[in-house]
Amino acid sequence: MTEGLSWVPSTIDTGLPSAARIYDYLLGGGHNFAADRELAEKFLLAQPNARTIARLNRAFLRRAVLHLADAGVRQFLDLGSGIPTVGNVHEIAQRAAPESRVVYVDFEDVAVAHSRMLLEDDDQSTVLQEDMTDTDAVLAGVRDTGLIDFAEPIGVLTVGVFHFVPPERDPVGVVAAYRDAVAPGSYLALSQFTADLQPEEMTGVVAVMRRSANPMFPRTHAEITAMFDGFDLVEPGVVPLPLWRPEDGAVEEDADRAGIFAGVGRKK
Amino acid sequence: MSPPARTRRQDIARAWMRAVYPTAYVPMSPVEIELYLLELVDVIAAATQAEPFTVEPVAVVGDRLVEAHFTGPETLQRTVEVLGHALLFAPELQDVPRLAEKVVAILGCLSTSFATSMRMDAFNQQEEIKLALLAAKLRAERVLKVSEARFREVFDSSAFGIALTDLRGECVDANAALADMIGADRAGLIGRRLIELFDPADVDELVSTYRAVGEGRVERVREQRRLLRADGEPVWVHLAVSLLREAEGKPSHHVTMVEDVSELHLLQKNLDFQLLHDALTGLSNRQHFLTRLETLHGTSRGGITLYYLALDAFSVVNNGLGHAVGDQLLTEVGRRLKAVVADETAAVARMGGDEFAIVVANSPTTPTVPAMVERINEALEKPMDNGVALSASIGVVDRPAAGWDVAELLRAANATLRRAKAGGKRQWQTYDRHVDQRIREHQSRAARMPGALADGEVEVEYQPVVDPTGGQVLGHLARLRWEELEHDECLELAEATGLSLALGQWALREAAGEATASDALGVLHFELSPMQSRDEDLVHTVKRTLDETGLPVSRLRIFLDTRSMLDGTGEDNAQVLRDNGIATGLARFNGGQAELSLLADLPVDSLILDPSVVRRLAERPEGFLHDATAGMVRLIRSSGRSVLVPDVSTPERAAWWARVEVDAAFGDHLAPAVPGYELAH
Ligand SMILES: C[S@@+](CC[C@H](N)C(=O)[O-])C[C@H]1O[C@@H](n2cnc3c(N)ncnc32)[C@H](O)[C@@H]1O
Repeated sequence: MTEGLSWVPSTIDTGLPSAARIYDYLLGGGHNFAADRELAEKFLLAQPNARTIARLNRAFLRRAVLHLADAGVRQFLDLGSGIPTVGNVHEIAQRAAPESRVVYVDFEDVAVAHSRMLLEDDDQSTVLQEDMTDTDAVLAGVRDTGLIDFAEPIGVLTVGVFHFVPPERDPVGVVAAYRDAVAPGSYLALSQFTADLQPEEMTGVVAVMRRSANPMFPRTHAEITAMFDGFDLVEPGVVPLPLWRPEDGAVEEDADRAGIFAGVGRKK
Repeated sequence: MSPPARTRRQDIARAWMRAVYPTAYVPMSPVEIELYLLELVDVIAAATQAEPFTVEPVAVVGDRLVEAHFTGPETLQRTVEVLGHALLFAPELQDVPRLAEKVVAILGCLSTSFATSMRMDAFNQQEEIKLALLAAKLRAERVLKVSEARFREVFDSSAFGIALTDLRGECVDANAALADMIGADRAGLIGRRLIELFDPADVDELVSTYRAVGEGRVERVREQRRLLRADGEPVWVHLAVSLLREAEGKPSHHVTMVEDVSELHLLQKNLDFQLLHDALTGLSNRQHFLTRLETLHGTSRGGITLYYLALDAFSVVNNGLGHAVGDQLLTEVGRRLKAVVADETAAVARMGGDEFAIVVANSPTTPTVPAMVERINEALEKPMDNGVALSASIGVVDRPAAGWDVAELLRAANATLRRAKAGGKRQWQTYDRHVDQRIREHQSRAARMPGALADGEVEVEYQPVVDPTGGQVLGHLARLRWEELEHDECLELAEATGLSLALGQWALREAAGEATASDALGVLHFELSPMQSRDEDLVHTVKRTLDETGLPVSRLRIFLDTRSMLDGTGEDNAQVLRDNGIATGLARFNGGQAELSLLADLPVDSLILDPSVVRRLAERPEGFLHDATAGMVRLIRSSGRSVLVPDVSTPERAAWWARVEVDAAFGDHLAPAVPGYELAH
């Protein structure tokens, strides 16, 4: 992606499915194109539980943000934020604490164009179009917004995004760069696909997504835990989505078919 | 409201939350959702009780569900299921007159408002995404003229009409969809004042709309307006107008998006793509299938063949092994069916529950219908991971004439399936117009039934149950009648339309009332439909009926449907009825081994034989079957249970049954059913 011109919609290739739009479709959103829906259908064939997984992932994001807000975090950096749908981070955070500030980062055009529109009237939140693995560019961009104070704790959210980061982009190094940039007492919330739970389905999904703008890379429980290096994992550690601090009255969900591991850590 | 009523409403809200929570992502905690739904339960309960009754207040329920994003493919269905049951049985609603019909009307209204809101919501989202693109494009253009081609693609392929106007209101650009809607030439639109395309009656208001948006007084406007077609016909549209600004914030253009919502258009257009897929199997759902069917039917040169199939005894698997296994099986069935037609131009869909449909566009290499049926059966018979092997019954419509519309096709296939199913497992049939005519009448009746019940057209009659030897009347059996339809047909229709619970409740109350008023009626014999027999709230319903009518428990005998006891779901009902001192029997008992063993397990003291047993004996010359039946009757009676015989049609048959020493019999020969007012009071 060419910096500076990164929002040029020449990159909106409506014929090439994107993860952001497929996810939106799975969540029942309408911000997607025919090619996305077609691929989403194939995704569903490979992983029939995909809609549930999308829902569980989004629900984890919400619980994680509320947990951080409870812990006093008032600024959030949402990496791979996706197409705004229901329950966006600034909505959740600002409902919990109105002064909360949020910087969204995504590299997908529709996601960014749409976030921009949504945030037009909100001067506590903004969106940057960057590749989140390009950590220098992201951090510089975040500083430029003036919204985030790096001396105060920050909630770094990478929810449902690292499975799009190939090993050669060094995911552990990417997390480490953000970790080193934020103050102690900051948090990392992370969720990502794994083949540990349903190996067969995951193989199918990887095959399907090879044809999209965002191929996928599932990781093991150990690999995901290793990404929290330098953080203390909060209870219950790295677990399938629905098992991460379920709320009172929650409907029981099938953790074995949840596809994604999730965890939250606090920087030492 | 009394505290118990409040708690009960909370229970309903909780059950509702649990049912819809897995169907869509809603950014609230379970407790918050429950409270949100509780407010809606209040709205519905109030509407149910209000006099005079109107469904209008319930319309907001659909809107509120969509507003909170309860918009999953199964949200509505589950909502209707939960509320349907809850409303019929909420104690606080029990005194509401004509409750069942009101519930039907309320659920209908809720569904309609839900669907309408979903459409609006989809329109809004689509409009937003286009607007975001357009904004990105205009910004980009000033930097670099690159995106034109790709942008055109989105602009042109959109089903919405889109027009870009300058601030004087002249069209700078318009897409093909807009030109189509008004039957004009796209190029001809450029340079015209957009407002001229609308009905003159709307123009004044539109002018102020555009001004308001242009001056930034409002962000965006959405209205219903009429476009005028070139031929002068008005076209109703949803209209959304917004303003595009240059980077410095100066207004530069208006964007107008319109969606055709004229009725014709609405009818043709199925619900939005969000609703097009079955969440479980990933196959197309009914809506989507209709579209595919239409396309293939319209374009296939070799004609199409439509297969409509239902898994046999799937409910047994589902109840026996649990829903998770059931879900896996359905998914696997979907996969296998896709594989069966992988080499064909075809579409496979899950039509709901355990029903699937396949449409194949015939080519010279397409297998014949029997060969295809064979393949389908083979695909299903291969045991699944958990060892379960399935079979299906199939209705086939082969190469229908071009004139058929899709609804007709689907209906014919479905009716054929019903016929195949009636023949047992693993059956298939091809469509036959004559038989279909009768089925269609039956179905149109089914559709009319709720109304008929509401209008008092369905009646309860009372057929004397007599001692076949002495002839004295032992009691009366309640029978339904509607026009020329007899009891069994009424029940069957009610079961098919889901009205069975409501109808059964109503009939029980009616009959108990009559029995209380007329001592001559003796013991009221009441046969339950299969659905009623399995109903969890059965005992409650019966006890309440006794309380309210004052009928002594000694004058009621309830007969449960035998087959509903066999799959285990209704067994508890027999026990609990008995525990409450209510005499309980089995109806439609055919004496099979499984049924005989039920007698050992259930505390029943009587049974009514299945009409088919009686019919078969009547049709055949005296022989083995007769001896066997006589033996069975003896055996059952020696265990202390009494045997009742239905449908006794001739004096000879009555005499035969008397010899076999059954305890009681009824039938038109012995004494016809009579309306309540003919009983002695
Ligand atoms: C599945 S969505 C998750 C959205 C949101 N975080 C949530 O959990 O609900 C993943 C998003 O990550 C974005 N993404 C993937 N790789 C990225 C990268 N290297 N840099 C920025 N965004 C990325 C995609 O465009 C997509 O919008």
